[in-house]
Amino acid sequence: MKEPLQKKKVVVRHLPPSLSQSDLLSQIDPRFADRYNWVSFRPGKSSYKNQKYSRAYVSFKAPEDVYEFAAFFNGHVFVNEKGAQFKAIVEYAPSQRVPKPSDKKDPR
Amino acid sequence: PERSARISKVRPPLHQYVRKLLFSDLDKDSIANVLKQLRKLPWSECEQYILKCFMKVHKGKYGQIHLIASLTSGLSRHHDEFVVAVVDEVLEEIRVGLELNEYGAQQKRLAHMRFLGELYNYEHVDSSVIFETLYLTLLYGHDTSEQEVLDPPEDFFRVRMVIILLETCGHYFDRGSSKKRLDQFLIHFQRYILSKGHLPLDIEFDLQDLFANLRPNMTRYSTIDEVNAAILQLEEREHASSGDKVSIERHSDTKPSNKSSSDVISSN
Repeated sequence: MKEPLQKKKVVVRHLPPSLSQSDLLSQIDPRFADRYNWVSFRPGKSSYKNQKYSRAYVSFKAPEDVYEFAAFFNGHVFVNEKGAQFKAIVEYAPSQRVPKPSDKKDPR
Repeated sequence: PERSARISKVRPPLHQYVRKLLFSDLDKDSIANVLKQLRKLPWSECEQYILKCFMKVHKGKYGQIHLIASLTSGLSRHHDEFVVAVVDEVLEEIRVGLELNEYGAQQKRLAHMRFLGELYNYEHVDSSVIFETLYLTLLYGHDTSEQEVLDPPEDFFRVRMVIILLETCGHYFDRGSSKKRLDQFLIHFQRYILSKGHLPLDIEFDLQDLFANLRPNMTRYSTIDEVNAAILQLEEREHASSGDKVSIERHSDTKPSNKSSSDVISSN
């Protein structure tokens, strides 16, 4: 079992469905730009039938940085273009796996 | 009455092809070929769509879910990013399922539990992810004002979720620390079941099968008091055995905690 001290990957949930990756990064980067080494943004969806929050996974270089990130973004309120408020949740990602950096091209 | 004509969805050819591969061609004989075809696709263009289709495991046959897990595995060598996304997505689906507890989503939610178990069998998640999911399933929303909505006493769906996941991969937890963790979990599971009151017969039979397969000699407790005593004993033993380690490692808390509060990250 991974000790919390070694966990580096977090998930930011309940982001506005219409949020874009660049919108999010523009909020993260001023403080954390050089401290994470992987980010995966999962756009949400908002349709007449249902809405799906956006979500982002961030993997930090140092486990301690997670605390500062959580202190900053957990409960942070995002406001969408219509003025609706979305309160972000920051948690450790249930799966701590991140892609291996070696990107071998598939010879197919 | 006037009604506008039903507009059928027109999908781009590439999407149609992905769907054909996954939803009609795929079976145990064609899987090697399907994998080959998937690898030939222009990934930068359709990775998101393939991911979306992989999440529709509930649309296919239940017995075919392991084929999707196998494909995931086959793609891991050259598309590791994709595999990470599949795992994250399944875990998110399971979480959202617990948050919404929609009746109409039940089939999908069971399929996702099965898929997670198969991803464990293909070694794309480790056992701690499985145990965290199991405890999350028992505890999510408990001790909050929403418990009545998310997990009312007469709702046995979460028992089914646990059964499906353990049916899929529980047999691997037969030695070492994962064996111990399953033993512990099954006692907590028993407490959860007893807190529910009278079980429908079909679920009771599935439970009997599950225990017979995984832990044939385990006591099935019949009252809350008995199971609480067993849990107390478990915790004391845990405490005694980890007692000397505590002074070295501060983070030795192995007690399953309520997920809704434990995952909030804080520095102390």
